[in-house]
Amino acid sequence: MKLTGIEAKRRRTALVLTAPNVLFVLAFCVLPLGVLFSYSFFQVDFVSILREPTFDNYNRIIHSETYRGLILKALIYGLGVAVLCGVIAYPLALFIAKRVNIYKSALLTLLLIPLYTGDLIRIFAWRVVLGAEGVLNSLLMWLGLIDEPIWFLLFSPFATTVVLTYNYLPFMLFPLWAAIEALDDSYMEAAMDLGSRDLGVFFRIILPLSGPGLVAGFLMVFVLVVGDYLTPQLMGGSSGVTVTSAIHDMFGAAFDWPTGSALAWLLLSSMALFVACVVYGFYRSPWGRGIRKQDK
Amino acid sequence: MERRTFLRMLAAGTAGAMVGNIPFEVLAAAGKTVNWLTWENLAYDEYISSFVKQSGIEIQKGFIGSDDEQFAMIRAGGAKDWDLITPGLDKVELYVASGLLEPLDLDKIPNAKSLYAPFQSTALGKKDGKTYGIPFYWGINPIVYRADLMTEEPDWSTLFEGEKYKGRLAMRDYALEGIAIAAMYLGIERERIFKMDDKELAECKKACIAQKKLLRTYWNSIADLTNLFAAGEVVCAFSWVPPYYDLREKGINMGMAKPKEGVIGWCDTCAIPAGTAPDSASAAHELINFLLGPDYGKTLALNGPYAISTSMARDSLSAEEQERIFIKDMSVMDSFVWKENPADYGNWVRIWNEVKAS
Repeated sequence: MKLTGIEAKRRRTALVLTAPNVLFVLAFCVLPLGVLFSYSFFQVDFVSILREPTFDNYNRIIHSETYRGLILKALIYGLGVAVLCGVIAYPLALFIAKRVNIYKSALLTLLLIPLYTGDLIRIFAWRVVLGAEGVLNSLLMWLGLIDEPIWFLLFSPFATTVVLTYNYLPFMLFPLWAAIEALDDSYMEAAMDLGSRDLGVFFRIILPLSGPGLVAGFLMVFVLVVGDYLTPQLMGGSSGVTVTSAIHDMFGAAFDWPTGSALAWLLLSSMALFVACVVYGFYRSPWGRGIRKQDK
Repeated sequence: MERRTFLRMLAAGTAGAMVGNIPFEVLAAAGKTVNWLTWENLAYDEYISSFVKQSGIEIQKGFIGSDDEQFAMIRAGGAKDWDLITPGLDKVELYVASGLLEPLDLDKIPNAKSLYAPFQSTALGKKDGKTYGIPFYWGINPIVYRADLMTEEPDWSTLFEGEKYKGRLAMRDYALEGIAIAAMYLGIERERIFKMDDKELAECKKACIAQKKLLRTYWNSIADLTNLFAAGEVVCAFSWVPPYYDLREKGINMGMAKPKEGVIGWCDTCAIPAGTAPDSASAAHELINFLLGPDYGKTLALNGPYAISTSMARDSLSAEEQERIFIKDMSVMDSFVWKENPADYGNWVRIWNEVKAS
């Protein structure tokens, strides 16, 4: 067979193999988003949707301090939890990738175990730990460190952050571990030979070279945190409202699909913009060499 | 093919296979089925088995998780799957405005004559003299509290002011009731609560924002609130009735308060979706009549415990059993504020979100 024939066959195969995926994404992801987008310009009148295009929904949301605040809160939580996960996951990933030999797969499986249980089970397990009569408060009281339970451990932004970090840590840990695992030890040895020490090695060698893993982990944790409304609702107490729960209320309780759609689209756009800025910032920074190099 | 037509044909077909020589159409007409969309706790087999036996009508059940979900389902074209649905009395108006219900024939529901007076006279569930949703079962949403951890019986003000129970209170995460309770606390006339103007709504919003600082949390599921009471996280909350009975049974000294300013009353109805085939509609009427009757009423009072909307079962219950479902002293109904659907409920939801985000 001629080279061109092989090439043509390869293209056909690629087309046949990717077509179902592309169709699937088009039908079940792009199309619904398109419908949502068109609804965001409609109006609602009692129980009917008026299909007369208007920017009113977007105007109302952009001028509402509440919804602007909720979107900002979602982005801050997403960023904050992703950073916390990164800080916790780096030493863990380094340890598993470079220090553990025999028990590596056992450790990795162990870290996955929380994901095998449902969201609700994890949330309620944390309630048992953080509650007023919970494990932590009881322990502190038994040790005589406190006389009264510490109430803010549960139903507070603190509790929400702890549980979100715990829930999504594996999504940061695994890409990081994979990136560090692939990192050639001789780079670190060379850096040490040239006089660099712990933090220097980390910031000059490990962080730049594991950049792709960090970006992948960040994206996953960020998106999952922004979309999670159950954890803030059940752990955050009276401050547990999220933009996602507001969208849920618009669609469910208020039968205001247009405003709900507009809010969903604004959230989606803000997320995309925010993620693009953060990743670009990292890309331009001295630690972004790892992703820059792969672009070439 | 519609689900109910399919089910009917399936039932008739099975019977036809057994009997053999009877024409299919005759069998199809004889095998009556009601597809009933309702709350799971209203349709246990033992509650309705006597009806099935007596009437020969088969009941296919489907369950709802929330009133909003039911409306969304029917609104999105789900009406054709069901012959009988269970909208809240306050929501019937939405269904009627969307043309989703057909009027009920009260002549086929003789037990409706025994409806309690407030349900006879209410304007809810009706339009142009026709009844679209007939009150079926009802109850109240009171304040439930840990009597062992509180020194006095709470009222609505307990949930809005004072430092004593700060951080130990809870409120349902529901715009309609959250704002209505603020209105009762502020002393807004009962008749005006669901018709408040912007100024009154703004006052309610202020009260709700002040309330937020006192709350441990907003609750979303009654099972969760029951846990919070049991764990001592929450001592007093606007609640449903179940935690009171469930935790008393476990030996916790619970209290239930019905503030004199008013208590939120709720009521679900029976309604027949528009376009239901005459046969199925007629069978659905028979089922409604049973649901408003003495047998079902007694079963629900003893097991729910909930009250049906008619007095048919009242005399067969002991004073204590009547008290449990608030029908011993019927004057208690005078203090009820029946939930209604505000004209601009979307605005209520936006206000509620602003409160929660404050």
